[in-house]
Amino acid sequence: MLRPRNRAHPYLMLAPTLVLLVVFFILPLGVAGYRSAFSWDLLTPPRYVGASNYTRLFASGELLRTLGTTLTFSLVVVIGSMLLGLLLAMAVNRPGKFVGFIRASVFSAYVVSWVSVALLWMWLLDANAGVVGRMFARLGIGESGLLAGPSTALYALAGVTVWKITGYSMVIFLAGLQDIPGEMYEAAALDGAGSWGRFWNVTWPLLRPTTAFVGTSSLIISFQAFDVVRVMTQGGPAGSTSVFVYAIYEHVFLNFRLGRASAMVIVFFCLLMMLTLLQLWAWRLGQRGFRER
Amino acid sequence: MKGESLSRRDLLRAAASAGLLSALGCAPSSSRTTVKMWFSYGGKNRQMLEALVARFNASQPAISIHATFQGDYFENLTKLRSAIAAKSAPTITHVVSEVIPYLAEADVLEPLSEYAGAKDLDLVPALDQRGTWIGGASKPLMALPFNRSTPILYTNQEMLDAAGLKAPTTWDELKQAARTLKRGTGNDTVWGLICPISWWFWAALVQQAGGTVVEADGTPTLGGEAGVRALDLWQDMVHRDHTMRPPPGRDYNAWEVTNGDFLAKRAAMIYTSTAFVRYIDQNAKFKAVAAPLPRDVKAAVPTGGTFFIMLKDAPREQKQAAWEFLRWMAEPQQTIEWATGTGYMPIARKAVLQLEANGYYQTHPNDRVAMDQLAHAVPWPWAPNLFRVQRECIDPLIEEAVLVPRNSREVLEQARRRAAED
Repeated sequence: MLRPRNRAHPYLMLAPTLVLLVVFFILPLGVAGYRSAFSWDLLTPPRYVGASNYTRLFASGELLRTLGTTLTFSLVVVIGSMLLGLLLAMAVNRPGKFVGFIRASVFSAYVVSWVSVALLWMWLLDANAGVVGRMFARLGIGESGLLAGPSTALYALAGVTVWKITGYSMVIFLAGLQDIPGEMYEAAALDGAGSWGRFWNVTWPLLRPTTAFVGTSSLIISFQAFDVVRVMTQGGPAGSTSVFVYAIYEHVFLNFRLGRASAMVIVFFCLLMMLTLLQLWAWRLGQRGFRER
Repeated sequence: MKGESLSRRDLLRAAASAGLLSALGCAPSSSRTTVKMWFSYGGKNRQMLEALVARFNASQPAISIHATFQGDYFENLTKLRSAIAAKSAPTITHVVSEVIPYLAEADVLEPLSEYAGAKDLDLVPALDQRGTWIGGASKPLMALPFNRSTPILYTNQEMLDAAGLKAPTTWDELKQAARTLKRGTGNDTVWGLICPISWWFWAALVQQAGGTVVEADGTPTLGGEAGVRALDLWQDMVHRDHTMRPPPGRDYNAWEVTNGDFLAKRAAMIYTSTAFVRYIDQNAKFKAVAAPLPRDVKAAVPTGGTFFIMLKDAPREQKQAAWEFLRWMAEPQQTIEWATGTGYMPIARKAVLQLEANGYYQTHPNDRVAMDQLAHAVPWPWAPNLFRVQRECIDPLIEEAVLVPRNSREVLEQARRRAAED
């Protein structure tokens, strides 16, 4: 086993990362925690209010509402992008120039900036001028525009997010699919498995680590959603697309309630922490299950 | 490796000498006092303002105004508040009237009363600090009117003629006219009325129904019964009559949609701002006629738009220089240029007299409507909570009431509770 010549060495090596972590993460979080006990609007002196920023968040129902909005959005984004990504990956998992072109096209959406995508979709979703918007209007959904209805706007945003990140999950799934040895399929076919049987007994179990990875990364993307909301709906109509990060932004930069916003940051942090632990736990469980197989 | 480090050093040296040279080059012009100004216009209004600034800069050797675009009113205000806290605010900017009592209370505004000529500006009373706020006359001068407006009704005269209608003058006539004018379904709908679901238009309705949004002492009553009546009017037209479209988008996005739909003949009538009079007149491919807002128990309109403010923390000589610019902007010539080019109202009394004398209002009847409506302008209370009530309580909740929809009385009760929180 390697031993450091000096006991301080490992800490010295860690120092650069540690400094960055403290300055840009732990310190701001501490400041947010401190600020959350004050009522402050940047211009007039801060006033100590104890835990009232937190109680207000709970009592006004804002927290639950924001949480509901965020989770709904995340659910649609995670499930949508995984399902579509997997289907696309299986469809384009073959050689050929044309398939290569399709792959590149689908992935290209992931490379484009969020703001461009959001602007593009605002056009597409317009009830009068947009192709997609008109299509939905003809079906009787969102007749004055999907983004204009409080019951449709969030799903429209989630749809746009799925459209943008599906290319990424497709590529990851594709890599996962190409990692599965061809003999497995041959063996399964010899055993009399049909195409569904081969998917269910070979592809799906062997893709599990990939699925977990895609799930985690799309969950992270969906929780960080801000650009689409800022550009396309600004949290509206009637607050229906005010996801967590946007709600925090709104409290800081529109309402200038820095205390309330800090309280939200702390709550959001705890929430993400819990989610991470849950995911870690599920991930370990999955790996153990995989080994036991 | 050696060659590389040498060339990098050379580059640095070149950059340093270039920087020094440009600094030297700038030196002679630095005898002018530079004043930073933030503004909130895009499009044609921006060009107009920039042209005015350029003319001011060219007209004298001592002061140079550096005007920077900072997004819409609310974006500018956001940046301004952060910049004040970070001590990097501009010397002057312009802000919506509702926020001025708050900024004054927070003690960030420079009082202008003592500057040379402040007492002789001869402004239109309904549009300056005296007429915009209850008790505004007894306060030190904190703001100078810049682009001032009121809400206004615009009608597509051809559609009205075809239906044998005149511009509605009361709420009942408005509802009736909207029912008659609504045509088609789906993508081919022509709406009777499009009105942004925004505090300003709602405040107009509340005042017309005989209510007050925020009382003179700052109590947010939100109009009481009049507030409910105002919300019910919208709800009826949107959900019962299906004659009004609440335009999508937040803040000014919804206003743009409103104007756009009107110009594309997708609406027979719209509520918009006098600010867009010139824009609509120049872009309508039909006869677009302005009319006063329909009345309920009385005729009333709030005033809107922005005032110039000066930040207290700026260096003294910059404030002095900025004042020269503000005073210049309030002169009749500049006022006329700005008002006739945009549709905002002329804020200097001499400018109004001059426009009347040379027959401007005869040839521009839509501008006339805006000016006449000023007789019914209702002042705001000088209440520091005014802006917060608007942004946090009224705007989001009336939107919910109309779009979801929710019971008007309950929504306003909730808004009052929220407004009562500190």
